This record gives sequence, structure tokens and C-alpha cells, in this order.
Amino acid sequence: MLHKRFKFRNIILLLLLLIPFMSNAQDLTGKEIIEKVYYRDDGDDRRGKLTMILVNSRGDKRVREIKQFDKDFGATEKKIMFFTAPADIRETSFLNWSYDDPAKDDDQWIYLPALGKVKRISSDSKDDYFMGSDFTYDDLGDRHPDEDTHKLLRTETLEGEECYVVESLPKEEGYMYSKTETWVIKDKWIGLQKKFYDEDGDYLKTLKVKEYKDYDGILVITHSQMHNAQKDHKTIMKYKDIELNAGIGSNYFTERMMSRGL
Amino acid sequence: MMMNTRNLFIILILTTVSMAGFGQTPEIHGYLRNYTGALTGQNGDFSIVQNTLDLDIEKSTLDIAFKANPYIYQYAHKDELDYGLREAYIDLYTDNMDIRLGKQQIIWGKADGVFITDVVSPKDLREFLLPDFDEIRMGITAAKLDYYIGNNTFELVWAPVFVPTHYPEENSIWFPQEYPDNFRFDYSQKDVTAGLENSEIFFKYSRLSQTLDIELMAGYMWDDDPAVHTRRYINQQTTQPDSAVVTPKHHRLSLVGGSFSGEVEGVVLRSEAAYYMGKKFATNDMSIQDGIVDNDYLHYLVGADFIIGGANVSLQFIQEAIMDYKDPLVQDEFSNTMTFLVNDDYFNNRLTLELFAYIGLDNEDALIRPKATYEIHSGLNLIAGANLFTGTEGRFGQYNENDMAYFKLRYDF
Repeated sequence: MLHKRFKFRNIILLLLLLIPFMSNAQDLTGKEIIEKVYYRDDGDDRRGKLTMILVNSRGDKRVREIKQFDKDFGATEKKIMFFTAPADIRETSFLNWSYDDPAKDDDQWIYLPALGKVKRISSDSKDDYFMGSDFTYDDLGDRHPDEDTHKLLRTETLEGEECYVVESLPKEEGYMYSKTETWVIKDKWIGLQKKFYDEDGDYLKTLKVKEYKDYDGILVITHSQMHNAQKDHKTIMKYKDIELNAGIGSNYFTERMMSRGL
Repeated sequence: MMMNTRNLFIILILTTVSMAGFGQTPEIHGYLRNYTGALTGQNGDFSIVQNTLDLDIEKSTLDIAFKANPYIYQYAHKDELDYGLREAYIDLYTDNMDIRLGKQQIIWGKADGVFITDVVSPKDLREFLLPDFDEIRMGITAAKLDYYIGNNTFELVWAPVFVPTHYPEENSIWFPQEYPDNFRFDYSQKDVTAGLENSEIFFKYSRLSQTLDIELMAGYMWDDDPAVHTRRYINQQTTQPDSAVVTPKHHRLSLVGGSFSGEVEGVVLRSEAAYYMGKKFATNDMSIQDGIVDNDYLHYLVGADFIIGGANVSLQFIQEAIMDYKDPLVQDEFSNTMTFLVNDDYFNNRLTLELFAYIGLDNEDALIRPKATYEIHSGLNLIAGANLFTGTEGRFGQYNENDMAYFKLRYDF
């Protein structure tokens, strides 16, 4: 009896202790949730191999393979990609420097082996589709939370995970998406699903995370799929041979490596 | 044919054996291509029916790499194969330095489709500017040293043997229509003897940065384009010149140059310039020996790249200016050209449409090059296009009989 009373008292105490945290969670704003996603620990540097499978409405498949390295340099993130397949784009590389300052555009360069030189390209290409996939360049980058106005719509369970559903409206006029809705897994701060609406407000496409893995406490999305409903075209993206905090040298993100390869 | 084929196999075997010496299996990539083109203005005569095998044989480790790029062109109208090594070099890597030794293509500058500071590798212009640029640019045997400090690169190139631009032969449809019939060519002085004193040296500094990418360069070289020494013969009866002997000859040349590119509000602005000291120009002044004078010469461009409605657009204005110009030089004091490029892709990159044009502003001539590329399968592309010449004179108008439609089927592996 004493034992039961002790347990009951402990439960009450525990609930009392949890109340502040629960209310904090309930009180989180849409912006705070997206900031938690944006600032979630993803290591100081990352390397891996990306496979994109492009599938059209008839089920025809095309495959693109990329070696990718990225590293944080304070308020700057540098990323370099080497295209390894198909053979006609082999040795093409892409270098991107992005900045925490949302007012500052990315710097981007491409190395095309047929031209044999590194060429600066316009950061206006962020709404271009990446290598024929259903991901735009902007979809693949980290969009700063300050670029949108965020609103927590509701919480709901998706794929067995408790999620916040956050609506984000762009501050920039004429942005390629009029609205996005993101399902963010509670406490993991990972976007499990994202719906995109085009400039006219019509539903455009959905990104679904099929798999994420824990690398020493850091969650990494390893399998996702973007389905463009308007074109009935989808892109399956798989990320493998992942290494985090591998000590990637700063010289990886240079003109030298773009033309030489890694 | 037999001899050629045997030589070809010897080259391939030697290449493979030399690579096996590294104790590791090299990677082999490349492409097979059929290229069929017809002259639309000349009863549909084929201007080219070419089959190409182009191989990249390479291996790379952390501190050493090599690459050989043998190629074979087979033409439907020729028994003999055209083959060679476009590149064959060894790389040595250290923390801050790369050294490349061997035959290599060296490409400088920010220009598209125009050669301004891009003067290290000579050009193969036997089919004018129509082949792909990696086929126009010839490899040269050189030692190239790159030293890196952060995003700064210092590059030094020493080319022991001068290789000139390859021009079309006199019976080619691409032979320039610059000379009257009574001009005779003497090619006895066109070669530069290979030797230490005739080697070329180039230097470049380049930097990528957040706001601006820059290149500065200098070269002590041979002019890839020969000066045309012209000796005119006077008709004793009319006292007017009635024939001439043209002797192409290469001369030493010094140049400095540079380029930059940077982005402003989504527009990439580019500029590139080269200043040549003492370039040789042909003159019609008959009192001047061989009809050749020295003038400084400026070649530059300004350009912009931007995106409109998802399409990539690029514009360039190019000017060639002869300093201290005095009549009667054969070449105009200023030559002005523009280029225009637009390309866009459709059906998730399966179809790419492109239009590229050179526009001669002085002679109202142009070369217009529409092209469509369709990805049939990963690595297999069908390319259809045309080369349309407009105008009647000038760099492009002189070829107005050479309009051409073509298709290429290319498989990369």
C-alpha cells in the first residue's frame, strides 16, 4: 500500500515537472519549430554518395550519381558535388558557398569538362530543377527561416511519428512557391514530409522522407522521394557511404578540386 | 591503311602498358559518335560523315594521376583514319602544388566561344569553329605548375615546342576566301624550329572569391596565327602589281591580359582582355618590306549571363582594336562581334534546346547555330542542329554557301 502511494506520488511529481516542458512544446511557434530544424546538429562536415533516380509517368528511369562534400565555415557553408554518372556528365562539378545571412545570395560555380574551365553561374538558378530531378537548387539547400513567415497549423501523427505541421509563406514576391507545409517530427526536428504549392497557389509536389538514420546522435536523411503531381514525375534520392565530422579539408572547396576531382 | 592501323594499335598498346606499370587498373571512359552533316545550299552534299571513338584512360590516387585521351576519326570518304593523342600527361600532387607533365589542353579566360586570353593551347580550325571546343583546342606538350594559397592559384606553363593553329587546306570549303587567284602561297617558312630558345612561357594568377573571380596572365609566345608576308610582283607594262607570293610566318609575341566575373543582382558580369605588344599585321603599303608592320593590339570582351523564364541567356560583345592604326592596313582598325546564347531544358532535362550565334557587326554577317539534344537513354544522346551563315563577306559571311544541317548520335560510357 505504501509502495503504491509512493508510486502515485512520484507520478504526480513527474507530471508537475513535465508541465513546464509540455507547455513549452505547446507554445512553440511555427518559426521556432523551423529554426529548430534549420539549426539541428548536422555535424561540422559531411561526405557521401547521392543517387537520384528520375522516374517519369511511364515508369522510365534515369539515374544520376554524385559524390558530395560539404563543410561549415562559421556563417558560411561550402558544398562541392562531383557528378559521376551518367557518363556524359562525368567530371562535371558544382561548387556552392551559401551564407547564414538571408540577404546574401549564394556564390555558385560549375566546372564543365568539355569547356575545361570553372565558370561562375547566376544564383538566380535557385528555382531551376537540379539535373532534371524534381528538386530545385533551392530545395536542396538550407532555406533560412527568416526568408518565410511561419505558422503552426496543428499537430498530427504521420507514419507513426508525432509531427508539427507548419505552414511557411515566402516574404519574397514572385518566389517559385506560394506556400509550403512541413511535417516536423517532434523532438527530432526533422522534416518528415513537405508539400509545395506553385506560384498560383495550386498543389505542386510532395517530398517524403522514407528513411533517416542516426550517426552518433546526428540524424541524416538517407532516402527521400519528391513526387511532382502536376507532371506525375518523381525523383528518388538515396544517400549512402555517409561520413560525418570526417575532417574534410578546406582545400576541397576550391577551383583546384573542381577541375581535378576527388 | 594497314600501316595506319598498325601504328594505332601500337599507340593503344603502349598507352595501356604504360598504365599497367602503375600497378593499378585504369578507368576507361569515352564516347562513340556518328556525325553526319549535309550542306543544305549545295544540293545536299555531305560535308561530313564521321565516326569517332574518343577514350579517356585515367587513374588517380592522392598524390599521382595520369590520363591519356586517344581518339580516332573515321571518315566515310577517306580510307585513312585520323587519330592521335589529344592529351597524355602525368600529374603529381602535393599539399599546395600540382605539376602536370605531358601533352595537355590548357584553357584560360572567362569568354564563351571566343579566344582572348585563352592562347596557350592552339586551335584546330580545319572545320572553322564548328567542332566541339574540346576538339578545336589542341593539346600541347608542356610542363604546368600550379601553386595554391587558399583560393589563390599561381600557374606557370612552359611549352618547349611551339604548335601553331591548324588552318583548312586550300581545297577545303573552310579555306578563307581572302586572296585573289593570282596570289601564290609559299609555306617554306611556316615552321618554327623546335629548340629551347623557341619555347613558350606563360603565367597566370587566378582567384575565386565571394564577390569577384579574377585572372591575370602574361605570355611570351609565338603568335599562333602566322603573319602573311606578301611580296607583290609588278607587271612591267601596266606598272601595277599583277601577282603576289604570300609567305605565312610565325613571330614572337608578348602579351598581358586578365579577366573577371562577378554577380550583381542575379546577373553574372564578365570581362576579359588581352593586350599584345608588337603583333604583325599585313599592310597594302607596297613601300613596306614584305607588307608587314608592327602594331600593339587589344582584344577584349564584356559579357553578361542571366536567367529569363528559366532559360539561360548569355550575351558578349567582343572588340579587336589595332593601336596607332595607319592606313592602309589590310585589317580594319576595329573589328566588332557579338555572341548570343540561349538554352533551356524540357521534360526533366531530357530535351535541351540551344541557340548560339556569332554576329559580325562590321559586315552584317553571322553564324547561327540552333541545336536540340535529346537524351534517349542515360549516356545516349541524339543531337540535331544547323550551322547557318548569313551575309556575303566577313569572318562568317564568306562561308554563306556552307549552310549545314547535321545530326549526331553519341554514346558516352
